[in-house]
Amino acid sequence: MNNKPKVLVLKADGTNRDEEMAFAFGIAGGDPEIVHVNELRKGLRKMSDYQILALPGGFAYGDDIVSGKILAIELTSFLGDEMKKFIERKDTAVLGVCNGFQVLVRTGLLPFRNIGKMDVTLTNNDSGHFECRWVKVKAERSSKCKFLTGLEGIIWYPIAHGEGKFMASEKTMKEIETQKLVAFRYVRRKGNSTQNYPDNPNGSLNAIVGVSDTTGRILGLMPHPECFVREQQHPNWRRGRVRVDGLPLFENIVESVKEKL
Amino acid sequence: MIQKIRVKTTVGPDLKGESILNDIYKRLSIKIVKKVSTVRVYRLEGISEKDADKLAKKLLSESFNQKYAVNKPIVAVEAKTIEIAYQPGVMNPEVDSIMKAASDLRVKLKACDCSFEYVFYGKLTKEDALQIVEKLRLYNPLIEHIVRQEPQTLILKGQTGKTKIIPIINLNKHQLMDLSKYKLFLSLEEMQAIQKYFRKIKRNPTDLELETLAQTWSEHSGHKTFRANLIVDGKKKEPLIERIKKEALKHNKNIVSAFEDNSGVMDFYEDFGICGKVETHNSPSAIEPYGGAMTGSGGVFRDIAATGKGAKNIASTDIFCFAPIDLPVSELPDGCLPPEYLLKRVVAGVRDYGNRMGIPTNNGSVHFQNDFRARPSVIVGAYGIIPKKYAIKDKPKKGDLIVCVGGKTGRDGIHGATFSSGEMTADTHTMHSSAVQIGNAIEEKRMFDALLEARDQDLIKLVQDCGGGGFSSAIGEIGESLGVRVDIKNVPLKYQGLSPWEIWISESQERMIVVLQKKNLLKFKSVCKRNNVEFAVLGEFDGSKKLNVYFGKELVGNLDMKFLHHGLPKKVLQAKRKSKVQSLESRVQSLKFKAQKVPKNQKEWVKVLKKVLSQGNVCSKEPIVRLYDHSVQGTCDLQPFSGVNLDGPNDSPVLRPILSKKYGVVISHGINPALNKIDPYWGSIWAATEALSNFVAVGGDYQNASLINNYIWPFPDEESLWSLDRSVDAVVDFMRTFKIPVISGKDSLSSTYRGKDGTIIKIPPTLCISVLGKIPDTAKTVTADFKKIKSVIVLVGKIDNDLGGSVYYQVNNVETDSIPRVDLKLLPKVLTLVSSAIKAEKVSSVHDVSEGGVIGAIFEMCVGGDMGAVIDNCPDYLLFNETAGCFIVEVENEKTAKKLFKSIPYKILGKTTAKQEIEVKDLFKVSVDDLKKVWHEPMRRLFG
Repeated sequence: MNNKPKVLVLKADGTNRDEEMAFAFGIAGGDPEIVHVNELRKGLRKMSDYQILALPGGFAYGDDIVSGKILAIELTSFLGDEMKKFIERKDTAVLGVCNGFQVLVRTGLLPFRNIGKMDVTLTNNDSGHFECRWVKVKAERSSKCKFLTGLEGIIWYPIAHGEGKFMASEKTMKEIETQKLVAFRYVRRKGNSTQNYPDNPNGSLNAIVGVSDTTGRILGLMPHPECFVREQQHPNWRRGRVRVDGLPLFENIVESVKEKL
Repeated sequence: MIQKIRVKTTVGPDLKGESILNDIYKRLSIKIVKKVSTVRVYRLEGISEKDADKLAKKLLSESFNQKYAVNKPIVAVEAKTIEIAYQPGVMNPEVDSIMKAASDLRVKLKACDCSFEYVFYGKLTKEDALQIVEKLRLYNPLIEHIVRQEPQTLILKGQTGKTKIIPIINLNKHQLMDLSKYKLFLSLEEMQAIQKYFRKIKRNPTDLELETLAQTWSEHSGHKTFRANLIVDGKKKEPLIERIKKEALKHNKNIVSAFEDNSGVMDFYEDFGICGKVETHNSPSAIEPYGGAMTGSGGVFRDIAATGKGAKNIASTDIFCFAPIDLPVSELPDGCLPPEYLLKRVVAGVRDYGNRMGIPTNNGSVHFQNDFRARPSVIVGAYGIIPKKYAIKDKPKKGDLIVCVGGKTGRDGIHGATFSSGEMTADTHTMHSSAVQIGNAIEEKRMFDALLEARDQDLIKLVQDCGGGGFSSAIGEIGESLGVRVDIKNVPLKYQGLSPWEIWISESQERMIVVLQKKNLLKFKSVCKRNNVEFAVLGEFDGSKKLNVYFGKELVGNLDMKFLHHGLPKKVLQAKRKSKVQSLESRVQSLKFKAQKVPKNQKEWVKVLKKVLSQGNVCSKEPIVRLYDHSVQGTCDLQPFSGVNLDGPNDSPVLRPILSKKYGVVISHGINPALNKIDPYWGSIWAATEALSNFVAVGGDYQNASLINNYIWPFPDEESLWSLDRSVDAVVDFMRTFKIPVISGKDSLSSTYRGKDGTIIKIPPTLCISVLGKIPDTAKTVTADFKKIKSVIVLVGKIDNDLGGSVYYQVNNVETDSIPRVDLKLLPKVLTLVSSAIKAEKVSSVHDVSEGGVIGAIFEMCVGGDMGAVIDNCPDYLLFNETAGCFIVEVENEKTAKKLFKSIPYKILGKTTAKQEIEVKDLFKVSVDDLKKVWHEPMRRLFG
């Protein structure tokens, strides 16, 4: 019997990092399936048949109006109940990367699990433009996120986005910090978090790269760990050994739901 | 009625507004403006104000950092507001998304539109604001307009035009040419051939038939010059295309299909092929660079998707040629756009289209030369992977269906193919606005997703792109041998009011033609539906050997396929060499330079080195590359930049298109307009050598490379045709030397500008060679950044001491006509030894020598390695030498160098050092940081 956790890699018009996301979950021990949102709307696929919901990067519906908005509206309008049931199960995990993170924020799932109510935002990079580069991040030691085991020291991930600046009201920021919802922060060479470009590529407040929800089972982040699941994907693997920092995140997610199976 | 919603960001910076204000201060030196802000405007038709408020709140604004207003202004009344919207009928890609999301929120819109308001604060009048908008080119009147009056409706209405009969049977020569001019772009001989055909069948053509012939016979589609018989300096020569094909097909070891399909396909590993296509998109980009670059990318991606039964796009490349950014306005020809504007907007177009498509853009270059002021070159390439079983199109059978998929058809893009075959004039800007359009990447992305899904279910017989000439070319081509019957009333339209001929030749973007067996129609339909892709059956193959086009019941076109495809009179063209009068003078110049201008002291050396490194062709393009998504698909195992600070440029990307396999695809290119202009033969050899060297420099074995050739030439008068002939000779000789084929190519032979005052500007004849190659293991590749301190730096390959056309001569204003010649006899051995050394892991970095010369290459390697170099004393003609086919190689010690390269010319140049300084003994010393500053500056200034 196949005891690999089933991963629903959600796709809509303009999603474009679905294949590498599915590949990453596959080599991490999951059983991924790319599913178009139309199939969920029609009931041909059901979230209840999966353990992991993954929202990949891309430009869902062109990121028109603002990034992730149109897909977020589609999800909350037609699949709100299904999502609610999905996150209430104890054996599930949700990952949103880049555009997927933007969608999770705009559905309200992140950071406070308020489907239909947006509490934080991801907005235009301070540079005013799209940016593709590798960045250094650090996982927060005390983070609530359940997927960070073993992600020590400085971690390299690639980013590729134009709207990645994390913003919230002062009060909300405080709550995010006290509830330990920050999962990763942008750091400079020595490991301290930074607001300076390009180490912090978008000007995110508190150098926030990604956040989890209060249960630690929903994670959203701007960089693309799915594009760093083998050594050669790093630009400098020829300069000496590099640690593959993307794969462990997927393995942790898969493990986290396996424990509950 | 229309509900008007305005949305303004209230928290966080208004980046667009700030950048406009900055431009107002810096570029216009206007001080009265205090602040600029931007407002998004949405117009929604067919709903109540209450529903408008609902959409404003839930969809169009964000409560956290934005506010909105329904049917009232959102800023203080004293501010001056100017609204820019797309012209009615120009595709606005956001409209689809708004309609969809509104419907998801259960609000049924009849139509909608969105636009921008620029709000100017300060003591200025509305007139001042208008002037600012014009001067900063905040809109392009070809596709956008300033909204001065509220539209009454957003729904475009119109009566369908009738098909007209065009009387040509009785026209005389002059009348025939009047008909052709500005519309059909056909020659008298061609017009007469058409007249003869219709005289024979005893009727006059319909407008649709005439347009079909003009499209099919255009230079763009018909490649008349490449197919013509030539007389070169009095001697008969075979057509250019025949010569290329003949030589290419001799080297067919890796060919899966060449010159037959929308892209060339070469063998990859296991059951896969890889394919490549490169095109120019100069004409639209010259007048609407943003849309031009978008639709250029979109078109070349469709060529990959329309290869065989459909390939998957895996990479995109972009190569641009412009006038220097600092070109004085006074030197800009009438009707042409300034190079800075063109560069920025072209880059933005590539960014917005490629990034949305999820196709990594990881190779390209930008070149600057004065002669491009009249017309830029925008060269776009795409590469793909395809299972070999789907690489060849099935032959259609009688009864097979012709289906169109993707975007709707509108009036946009009419006459694109004929327009691009014409020369640019001062009037081009206004006369051909309908040839310009904006792309909708998401439309294309979902169409590709659906097509690949259908291909993998084996539903497709063939895919054809709707590019230049629209349906007329796509359907005309696939129907050539059997004949087709189509009803274009079935074509989904953007709006009513198009005449049949307009539907037939419209080049609206993001549409393709698919041929299916009838039994697969239902399955195909469901794949399309799942991916939100529109589709319509247009007709079928009918065995009539005719092109039968109906509009409902009315027969609007009825042409013999034989005449359509073979009736074009074959040309005989004369080519003549221009007498060489300048050569003596140029030699004198070069000697004079040698005597006078060679730098004499440290200061002069550093000064000229900085000039070379900051020259447009040499300076770092990193700020551009970072705007492109080059990491998507997760395939890039050798990235555009690497090194300690990730800013050392590399020669070619290496991709792993199948994530679970170690096989790699390498993509590279070579182009040098400066050399091509001086010497079309050796300039072309240089371009081809540069392309192949880039492939070899990362570890490629040239025997596993295929070439793609693109000729961007002025209108082929006798002199230009002579240089074109020489360039083709060079490509043929190059294939023969390396025993590798050209598998695809394209020509664009209209790069001449004619001004009203009689000025003629020919852009430099330019050959762009692209390389598509395979490599067995992506882990056996090298980057260009120096890896270790105290390594030995070696120059491998034979340099030619000539510096004609080099950046070193350009910055010193020396013009000579002797350019570096590559030693073709020796080159295969050099390339073999370099790639074997990489495979054997004996070298730790390699960079090929090109623009910027030997010292430029060493500098870039120092940047990547975050270190310095000490170089032995050597003359300027070595330091600044740009002979292609030479490499800077980092090895552990001199012994290794000797072992690897003893059978070919090589020279130990010096060593890498920890100290971040470049020293050439006895000549000069300079810090790498100082050089880096000037090398980064030009593009950082433009792209931030």
